Amino acid sequence: MIEIEGLSKLYGRDVFALEDFSMHVGKGEFVFLTGPSGAGKSTLLRILLCQEAPTTGRVIVGGRDITRLKPREVQTYRRTVGFVFQDFKLIPGKTVFENVMFALRILGVPDVQQRRRTFQVLKWVGLQHRANAYPLELSGGEQQRVAIARALVNEPALVLADEPTGNLDPDLALEIMNLFREINSTGTTVLVATHDRELIRHVGHRAVTLDHGRLAIG
Amino acid sequence: MLFAGLRYFVGEAVTGLWRGRRSTVLSVVTIAAALFVLGIFLTVTANLDALVARWSEAAELSVYLRDDVSLAERAEVQRALRGDPLVREVQLVTRDEALARFRRDFPDLAPAVSNPQAHPFPASFEARLVSQASEGDALESLAARLRGMRGVSDVRYDRLWLQRLQSIAALVGWGGAVVGAVLALAAALTVTNVVRLALFSRRDEIQIMELVGAPLSFIKGPFVMEGILQGALGATLALGALALAISLARGRLAAAAAGLIDASSIVGLPAATHVLVVVGGMAVGCLGALLAARRLG
Ligand SMILES: Nc1ncnc2c1ncn2[C@@H]1O[C@H](COP(=O)(O)OP(=O)(O)OP(=O)(O)O)[C@@H](O)[C@H]1O
Ligand SMILES: [Mg+2]
Repeated sequence: MIEIEGLSKLYGRDVFALEDFSMHVGKGEFVFLTGPSGAGKSTLLRILLCQEAPTTGRVIVGGRDITRLKPREVQTYRRTVGFVFQDFKLIPGKTVFENVMFALRILGVPDVQQRRRTFQVLKWVGLQHRANAYPLELSGGEQQRVAIARALVNEPALVLADEPTGNLDPDLALEIMNLFREINSTGTTVLVATHDRELIRHVGHRAVTLDHGRLAIG
Repeated sequence: MLFAGLRYFVGEAVTGLWRGRRSTVLSVVTIAAALFVLGIFLTVTANLDALVARWSEAAELSVYLRDDVSLAERAEVQRALRGDPLVREVQLVTRDEALARFRRDFPDLAPAVSNPQAHPFPASFEARLVSQASEGDALESLAARLRGMRGVSDVRYDRLWLQRLQSIAALVGWGGAVVGAVLALAAALTVTNVVRLALFSRRDEIQIMELVGAPLSFIKGPFVMEGILQGALGATLALGALALAISLARGRLAAAAAGLIDASSIVGLPAATHVLVVVGGMAVGCLGALLAARRLG
């Protein structure tokens, strides 16, 4: 699913966020990215979402080099990738339902189908009763479940998550992780960045450790 | 899909306008002011044009005849007037009629004319002209031809005066176009700033939309629609203010210049121009928004 070869990202003149980093993630795999603060985890995920271009190296996702995509191709690519961030990234002016449905709307899915599918994923994350609430009326755990619902709603092949449990207490964190595991069990490739070693041990999947932008353990 | 998309844009735009209602009011008022001034100029020009047309129609060409004019010469002059396409109507005013008119118009001075046989009022032909008569050189050459005819002592007409009025109308029109264009530009720039502000305050939302792979048109659409709606609102406001201004002007004129100018003859803008003003406002808003959103994506 993901093949990264000799990836480097240089900030300014001498800050290597990533340095000659390589890794492979198989289709349907669940992989943790871990390492100390500043190791380059977020940078790697930003590159995978085409938010940033690498300085050197190849990043192949689903058979395509995503480092040389045109703006339109970036759009198409992103529609196949779900993302979840520590800060949820929900649109405050839209309801929970609209936030989730938005990812479907841009695909041109018929209206009725959009609603049915949105309701289905909200039910799956256990928030169907809060569909008409606004994000800021929800707790952190609930907001993150909305974000996960949005990441899933268009059935992406790959889900990327950067510290998805960073703002949550341990019990909630585990609950969120279980959602990711469920997603993974349907064949979706999942990549989760976290420095919560406890959580990784608890969930027990492959963990790739970065340090100063280099592969430490993987 | 297109219809659904449009509905989505309008819905988002209305929400956005309401959320930023302070700056919305600012740009709507700016657009309204620009279009109002433009509308005033258009109305003034239209009314001056109408006035020129009306006065041109009433304008008379007077051909004064010598006292010793022969019947044949008089008939010749009349034929020359009748045959000219500029002339609508010809009327002969005899010496006696000219005197009678003088006595009627200036009764106080009438006794000064003691001898009804030796009074100084010449006979004349009064010609009414077609409304286009004050344009071009045709009238001038007609006057020159008449002056050269036997039995004619003088030819008078109001052409210069009308021409001046016409050039004033044209000048007002041009001035209005220039001022209107400058104001429209200012309005577009206001919209640009307002939309830029909206883009800035919603940058997180825009980032999220980009991350889910929303097409650029989906992201830009609501903002451009905001600009268009601001333009439409501004234009509607301007037309309302213009209608009010015209009815106020009618009232004023009726009171101040009763009898001189018929106040009800003040015309508003034609319906087509109303539509044009609204479309123009929307274009200005759209332009401003596109300018603000050009750096997206
Ligand atoms: N936009 C940027 N400009 C300059 N340097 C940056 C930028 N983004 C990241 N860096 C640097 O790159 C390095 C890697 O940062 P990154 O955010 O990827 O680390 P991380 O592993 O996600 O850390 P954390 O666990 O704290 O989130 C850090 O040294 C950081 O200071
Ligand atoms: Mg990070």
